[in-house]
Amino acid sequence: MTRRGFRVLFVILLAALLCKGCLVKDVPESEISKKTIENNSINIDYPAPKNVTLNGIDYLQSQAPIGKFGGELIASTIGEGPKTFNPFNCKDNISSLMAGIMYDGLLSSDPITGQPIPKLAKSFSISENGKDYTIKLRHGIKWTDGKPITADDVIFTWNDIIFAGLGDTSTRDSIIIDDKLPTVKKINDYTVVFSTPKPFAPFIRMLSTPIAPKHIFMPATKKGPEYFDSFLSTNTQPKDFVTSGAFKLKEYVPAQRVVFERNPNYYEINTKEQKLPYLDKVIYLIVGDLNNEVLKFEAKELDVISLQGSKVARYKSLEPHSDFKLYNLGPNTGTMYLSMNLNNRKNDKGQYYVDPIKQKWFQDLNFRKAVDYAIDRKSMVFNIANGIGAPLFTAESLNSIYLNKKLKPYDKDINKSKELLKKSGFYTDKKGRLFDKAGHRVEFNLYTNAGNSEREAIGVMVKQDLEDLGMKVNFKPIEFNSLVNKLVSTFDWDMVIMGLTGSPLEPNGGKNVWLSDGRLHMFNQRTPKEGKIGILSWEKELDEMFIKGALATKFEDRKKYYDKYQEIAYNEKPFIYIYSPVIIVAIRDKFKNIYPSSLNGITHNIEEIYIGD
Amino acid sequence: METLKYIIKRILQTIPLLIIVSIISFFIIRLSPVDPLAELKLNPSISPVTVERERQRLGLDKPIIIQYGKWAYSFVRGDLGVTSTGERVSQKLKERIPNTLLLTSIVILLTWIVGVPLGIIAAVHWKTAFDRILTVLTSIGMAIPSFFFAVLLLLFAVKTGWFPIGGLTSPNFADLNFGQKFIDIAYHLILPVFVLFTISLASLQRQMRANMLDVLDSDYVKFARAKGLPEWIVIYKHALRNAINPMITLLGFEFAGLLSGAALTEYVFQYPGLGRLILEAVLKSDINLVMASLMMGAVMLVTGNLIADILLIITDPRIRVKS
Amino acid sequence: MIKEVLQQLWKDKFARAALIILGFIYLSLLFADFIAPYTKDFSDRTMAYVPPSKIFTIDENGKLSKPYTYNYIREFDEENLSIKYKLDRSKKHYIKFFVKGQSYKFLGLIPSKIHLFTTDKEGRIFLLGTDINGRDVFSRLLFGGRISMTIGFLSLFVLFPIGLLYGGISGYFGGKIDMIMMRFAEAIMSIPSFYLLIILASILPSGMTSTQRFLLIVIILALIGWAGFARVVRGMVLSIKNQEYVQAAQAIGASRLRIIIKHILPQTTSFVIVAMTLSIPSYILSESGLSFLGLGIQQPDASWGNMLKEAQEFTNILYRPWLLTPGFLIFVSVLAFNLIGDTIRDVLDPKSKVR
Repeated sequence: MTRRGFRVLFVILLAALLCKGCLVKDVPESEISKKTIENNSINIDYPAPKNVTLNGIDYLQSQAPIGKFGGELIASTIGEGPKTFNPFNCKDNISSLMAGIMYDGLLSSDPITGQPIPKLAKSFSISENGKDYTIKLRHGIKWTDGKPITADDVIFTWNDIIFAGLGDTSTRDSIIIDDKLPTVKKINDYTVVFSTPKPFAPFIRMLSTPIAPKHIFMPATKKGPEYFDSFLSTNTQPKDFVTSGAFKLKEYVPAQRVVFERNPNYYEINTKEQKLPYLDKVIYLIVGDLNNEVLKFEAKELDVISLQGSKVARYKSLEPHSDFKLYNLGPNTGTMYLSMNLNNRKNDKGQYYVDPIKQKWFQDLNFRKAVDYAIDRKSMVFNIANGIGAPLFTAESLNSIYLNKKLKPYDKDINKSKELLKKSGFYTDKKGRLFDKAGHRVEFNLYTNAGNSEREAIGVMVKQDLEDLGMKVNFKPIEFNSLVNKLVSTFDWDMVIMGLTGSPLEPNGGKNVWLSDGRLHMFNQRTPKEGKIGILSWEKELDEMFIKGALATKFEDRKKYYDKYQEIAYNEKPFIYIYSPVIIVAIRDKFKNIYPSSLNGITHNIEEIYIGD
Repeated sequence: METLKYIIKRILQTIPLLIIVSIISFFIIRLSPVDPLAELKLNPSISPVTVERERQRLGLDKPIIIQYGKWAYSFVRGDLGVTSTGERVSQKLKERIPNTLLLTSIVILLTWIVGVPLGIIAAVHWKTAFDRILTVLTSIGMAIPSFFFAVLLLLFAVKTGWFPIGGLTSPNFADLNFGQKFIDIAYHLILPVFVLFTISLASLQRQMRANMLDVLDSDYVKFARAKGLPEWIVIYKHALRNAINPMITLLGFEFAGLLSGAALTEYVFQYPGLGRLILEAVLKSDINLVMASLMMGAVMLVTGNLIADILLIITDPRIRVKS
Repeated sequence: MIKEVLQQLWKDKFARAALIILGFIYLSLLFADFIAPYTKDFSDRTMAYVPPSKIFTIDENGKLSKPYTYNYIREFDEENLSIKYKLDRSKKHYIKFFVKGQSYKFLGLIPSKIHLFTTDKEGRIFLLGTDINGRDVFSRLLFGGRISMTIGFLSLFVLFPIGLLYGGISGYFGGKIDMIMMRFAEAIMSIPSFYLLIILASILPSGMTSTQRFLLIVIILALIGWAGFARVVRGMVLSIKNQEYVQAAQAIGASRLRIIIKHILPQTTSFVIVAMTLSIPSYILSESGLSFLGLGIQQPDASWGNMLKEAQEFTNILYRPWLLTPGFLIFVSVLAFNLIGDTIRDVLDPKSKVR
């Protein structure tokens, strides 16, 4: 009896709860009050360091406010950590970042203007004819082991490592001009002259390549390339490194962190003539993914983090009552794009790489433009980047100093797309399916690399946008390696969503992509055997712009050529650019002397950063 | 002497096993359509010459049988080759294996300490509400997807600030003294151990319960009871010893299960172990690294089984006679 | 035997609850097309990441009303760099039951347009909010569940015949054949299963259709588990084969394969049933783990594992908890399977060595 009673009671209670749940009252929420939060835009009044000479030593003198010594800054890198600590073997960003901390180059770039500024060099000058670069070195500056840094180190680095082709040869590859290498000559212990066979503007950027201590690297270079590849690997004891940067290696724990400590021999001082850097330690935690990075920042295990998408909103709302500050560094240097395969050639077996029916579509500029106008960039920025991004229409990234600002953005316009398709003879049937002139159904595959949730989300949206035009899009996220294989060797793809990183300072790095025989000329990739076969008129023009752009010496002249290349890309649509995420960086506000730069990030002046009260 | 002979025989048996494992893994991996050099190829700053050099270094231009031969030969000599980024594979494994062993052995120890008594209690109270509730509770632990559980725990750690967010050591680890180092590692291990413990407790508890039921039903236990011995002596002196012996064989399997279970947990907790390494290697199709980690996983597993077998012989000589 | 098992299951409180829950889940999955207001690919990009629709039954004047909902509008708040979701109170969208909505083919056969509930054309009803592409999480849960909840079963149906036959042959023939077959099985078992799983999944050729991918994942999952199963079967066969009736069958000259299939393997039935129910959960978990890593079922298809991928993101857990629902569903169904499996084991094989 009681049991049954309980059951009945239970059922009644449940029913009552359900009813209660069903009765939801429609009461308008009180308006969310819009608080204005102080807008910290980029601080451009960075006091650049100057050269001073004290007791015969040529120091670099920081002009930023004087700080306190001590403390540490904990930053992070995504991925598996550095592969090597040899600055000449770096093939990945993280190793390069680590090498950049440990080894200074002759020059570096100004965080605001991007112009070359002296680093290990005291000064530099370029001859009238644009071929000779005279570098004066600092007197009295030392490696971490106390040996002086001299012209011999520079000559050795360039002749015996870079020109000799040891380690990663990308620097060497990019300065071969007409099959000739530049030369370097020692004038005296503190002066060297580099000469290029022809005027070659991008060369100046190469002078930021790290300089190696001759007395350490010499034995290794003598043992040949194989030994050099494993020289100064991640297994090397930290005390065996002889470096020149503001921080030296203290400890490397695989898959966990890299710890750097102050280099007491560093050549930068503050206005009180105290030796920098201020911080005792800089620590890079090796975190596997973005998500873990955010968790670590949230748990105060990290001091600085770069944020994307929806995370920005969270930190923006937390900022007023927290111990960190957000800085907007502007759009990032990468480009994300949609591309169609313009290849119209046959492989060794005489088969077309791309189905000839599809070739007709992709090679039709109207078709490419129709796709372009159908893409809803704004929604992508809104949904995928959570509003933290900017639609992209140019081949150069939005923060590039060579950006062609005349190329105007436009909105999605599906009617224009339909018009363009009509012009080329495409038509739709009653069911809204799109057919080409010859009556073939427009259907193709769209690839991107699986696992990249951002690109997968873009793919889903692109698919819908194009299906609104009546195309049938088979969206296939595939494994990264297989995708690259398709792009650079087998060429059996129709449409792809990919990204490339670029330099905001030097468009010449993109020549691999844009030259018609470039190794990453993906939209119309030719095999090395094919050379420049079947070159399109605008491809020829692009080639010309890149060759001329590299040979011109003045910024204004170069800008003209690179403006033109962007214009060609804008008009011909080999790549349909999508958007650039905006980089927002959060850093604990106990750190002072923060001068964020859209070009070099937030910790470019790491030696000047200190911990305030 | 007999025991020693058996042990040697058992060790020798593992050799053909490992050869088969290596052949299977090698062919599976080489069947894959992916290009291990893709990452290099897409890097705009790397020249075709460099790519070609890498290809030769990895031996990708040779037929598969020769590749296997080459690989097996160098494996036997202890040379595991280099990763696709040029690091020594043996070095990477050396960094990771101890961490995974640490994690799994702590979990095994914990599950034994907790699972065995729970199994005994459940068996003694067989078919009572207590037994049922215990089964349901352990089932709940088994039902949570490990990665999901790990993600939730990380969130918990962030919210409370009680636990570190993944990793194995703190940034200032090198400056700590021995005792502090020990505490630091223990502190980092709490969450991953908890996840693995929760998901692996159930099976051990069930096994122990089943064994115990088996033994409690046997003639000599009945006889002991008939003699009028107190129940706790019957259980702990007579039944327990016999119920635990077969559990030792399970050790090897438990180890296998943990190696697998640990991969996702390591991934979410950013724990520097073998599981995370192999996952990253697989995603990058780093052939040498995948191959070596697979082999190491297999070697660890086989060794685990071997140790379990040897332990069993030492504790229970009857087994030897049977085999 | 089956009747007894069912009776026992019904008698046990936990098992009964588990049966009801699983029955409910599978029924919903069967009628997914009808229950879900949208198809799995339907997306409204202006409604990405919107919270679950608010359903009102008392209108703004305090009067009882037919249930209705409002759409959400999103605004980008430039000051806070965040997206705000507000109810668009300009238009009420009444919820209608058993009306025409998006067309679908019921069970892939019968074309229909009737949905359990939906709202008017401009209105959107998202019971569990939407994902990054503005797809209805509730609908995708139902369609994703079809994959997640069947993949384990399918793998078992591939795996068990292989394991039975392999173990049967190995145990029955004995000698060298047994030795070689068992060494091979042991080799497979010696590779940590999850390692093998991700490697096999990662070498799946690209550009497959989603059905092909689904089937291959089924096969991969089966490839992982058969060896351990075959080993246990072999052990059982070893003891069965010396029983009288088997020897009798031999004596009358039945073929060896026939003896294995007809006389020996049926003896292992109760073990097989117990092992099957107890291993379903692990296949569901494996699939979800694989998809979570991006190696299993891939976008735009849905599975509970790949839906959970979004829940890995910290801000999603905090601000979009509806994205966690697949995790809870996995948990509930795996738990239910475990409870049922436990009960079946207690009935059929109380001292089972199967975990």
